[in-house]
Amino acid sequence: MSLRPFSELSRRRLLRVALGAGGLVAGGVGSVFALRGSAPRVEGLRALSPHEYRTMASLAEAMFPRETLPAGDPAVDLARAFDGYLADEPTWARDEAKQALTLLELGPVLFDRRLATFSNLALSERVAHFERWGRSDSGLRRQVATGFRKFLCLVFYDQPSAWPGLGYEGPMRP
Amino acid sequence: MSAGAITDCSQASPGDVTVEVCVIGSGSGGATAAWELAKAGRDVLVLEEGGDYTGRALTQRDGAMYDQLYMDRGGRATSDLSIAVLQGRVLGGGGVINASDVVPIDDDVARHWQKKFGLSGFGPESLEPFRKAALEDLSANRPADELLNRNNQLLRDGAGKLGWKGEVMLHNRVGCVGSGTCLIGCAFDAKRNPRFVAIPRALEAGARVFTRARAVRLDDAGKELKRVAVRCLDAKGYHEGAAFTVRARHVVLAANAVSSAELLLKSGLGNEHVGHHLSLQPQLPVTVRYDDEVRFFRGIPQAYAVTQFEQREHPEHGWWGFRLEAIAGTPGIVGSLLPEVGAPGLELMRGYSKLGAALLLLPDAMQGRVRVESSGRLRIDYALDEELRGRFREAVKAMARLSLAVGAKEVYVPSVPPVRVRSEAELGNVDGLTLAPTTAPLLSAHQQGTVRMAPNERDGAASPEGEVYGTRGVFVFDSSGFPSSASSHTMAPIITVSRMLARQLAARG
Repeated sequence: MSLRPFSELSRRRLLRVALGAGGLVAGGVGSVFALRGSAPRVEGLRALSPHEYRTMASLAEAMFPRETLPAGDPAVDLARAFDGYLADEPTWARDEAKQALTLLELGPVLFDRRLATFSNLALSERVAHFERWGRSDSGLRRQVATGFRKFLCLVFYDQPSAWPGLGYEGPMRP
Repeated sequence: MSAGAITDCSQASPGDVTVEVCVIGSGSGGATAAWELAKAGRDVLVLEEGGDYTGRALTQRDGAMYDQLYMDRGGRATSDLSIAVLQGRVLGGGGVINASDVVPIDDDVARHWQKKFGLSGFGPESLEPFRKAALEDLSANRPADELLNRNNQLLRDGAGKLGWKGEVMLHNRVGCVGSGTCLIGCAFDAKRNPRFVAIPRALEAGARVFTRARAVRLDDAGKELKRVAVRCLDAKGYHEGAAFTVRARHVVLAANAVSSAELLLKSGLGNEHVGHHLSLQPQLPVTVRYDDEVRFFRGIPQAYAVTQFEQREHPEHGWWGFRLEAIAGTPGIVGSLLPEVGAPGLELMRGYSKLGAALLLLPDAMQGRVRVESSGRLRIDYALDEELRGRFREAVKAMARLSLAVGAKEVYVPSVPPVRVRSEAELGNVDGLTLAPTTAPLLSAHQQGTVRMAPNERDGAASPEGEVYGTRGVFVFDSSGFPSSASSHTMAPIITVSRMLARQLAARG
């Protein structure tokens, strides 16, 4: 499903990137994570924590803003689909994807010196932030953006409810 | 000889087995080898990591099918995520999920292998009977005009207007209904791929097939009986379960140029060439927007190819240049290629039925490498050099010129940032296509070369008979052995070479 691997996203590299941004050193690890605030409890998650689920849901909303979807377009829970996908991935791939979610969540603090994490940005800011990651000079940030974008688009447009808006009538039946 | 059977190892471990030949991989190379060797009276077992999917089990839905039919659930990629490495993981291998194009090894390529790589037995005359047999296996035929969808017709019309050479490629479909979902399996079983030809014939000849069986290590490669360590997988192929051992006099690797090399490396076998010389034959998708409906998602996705810019006798590389080939995608895949976030991406996809598309396919200089890290993880390294980037830009310009000639409104490269060409005056926009890592959705469908054949150990990893140097009785019968890109579509070449090598092995006694 086009996500694995965030192969450059080793723990060592993640730490180096974060330290390079200066955020963790300046603010202290605890206070950076505190900026995320609390995440609502979500029942039945298999791989993601509530915070990680919230990051993915916030990204999904940025990718497919509800107000731009015509009535009848899919309301699939993309973050839960990601949780289900990750649950069956090997441990290393699951860990890397979760690290990527953490990096995305803390991105505005680490790289843009904001005092709000990704999920706490306004929708338009989230869209702009994620677009910037896709165009970033940093290979790591582009990797994260590419991996998540591909996954979300694949799942979103694979839903039958998305097809009428595309002029696609779905598979031919044998 | 009693007929063999397909055993699903996700249901129960078959326990340890001793056979004469263990074939690892059930695609074009493995299935053909199994058929030939079983026909010659050998006791053959085929190990396939994937499941057995035919007919309605091929649901034509992107999520489920990439998950089940492709290696790493469709997520295999180079280590920098720049190139998606599409590799089948299903009984029948890549033939189940490819675009069904049949392009045999060209005489010039065969001569190149003789001249540059010293493979004297691979000349056009030697290959000819095996090429012919491969075309018969595949029921190769030229698609009827009415099966060419508008996207293919536009490519052909554009080439005609510009006076460029092109061809409707041979394919291996029989009874095609034009569902258009070839790349995620044909629910109508219209592909004459290994699943429907070589596998059943191998079974009739007495071969056995284990599905959901992952070969994880190969030991005792210098001894009479080799040991293949195998793990059963669960029904979806996600998790490893029970272990068993296959003991075999001969082991034939045919698991794809990535996975065959990976198994050798994990087992510490072969010389320093193993894993090197990887060709990914990278491809770049380009979309084209028209004013009216194209509906590229129906009919044969990939039938017409512009061959004007191909070179067959490049002194260094043999086949060189580039091809433009029509392509189509289901909504999930097309959506996942677009770089836009939010409303602009949704807007682009609303024009899905008016899109045309092509793949720009480039032979390469075999500059990649398959490695296994100390953690045991596979790593595929591949760097696009400036020559390759420049050739891609040339190919994009050619595609743009052709599309504009047939009335395209916009040619769009889904890169970051996107490249758009709306008129001849905007062709210079293509020069802005950097192809820096993860800025364009490059893909590879034809991996080759990681255990390349050569007449001596200094120049390659396997002998011209496919036997891996440093082993006794371990062979590669897939595209791993190709010393340069064999063709724009590797299914027919793999069948050709596998049959030739399998007959040589059978004749050894």
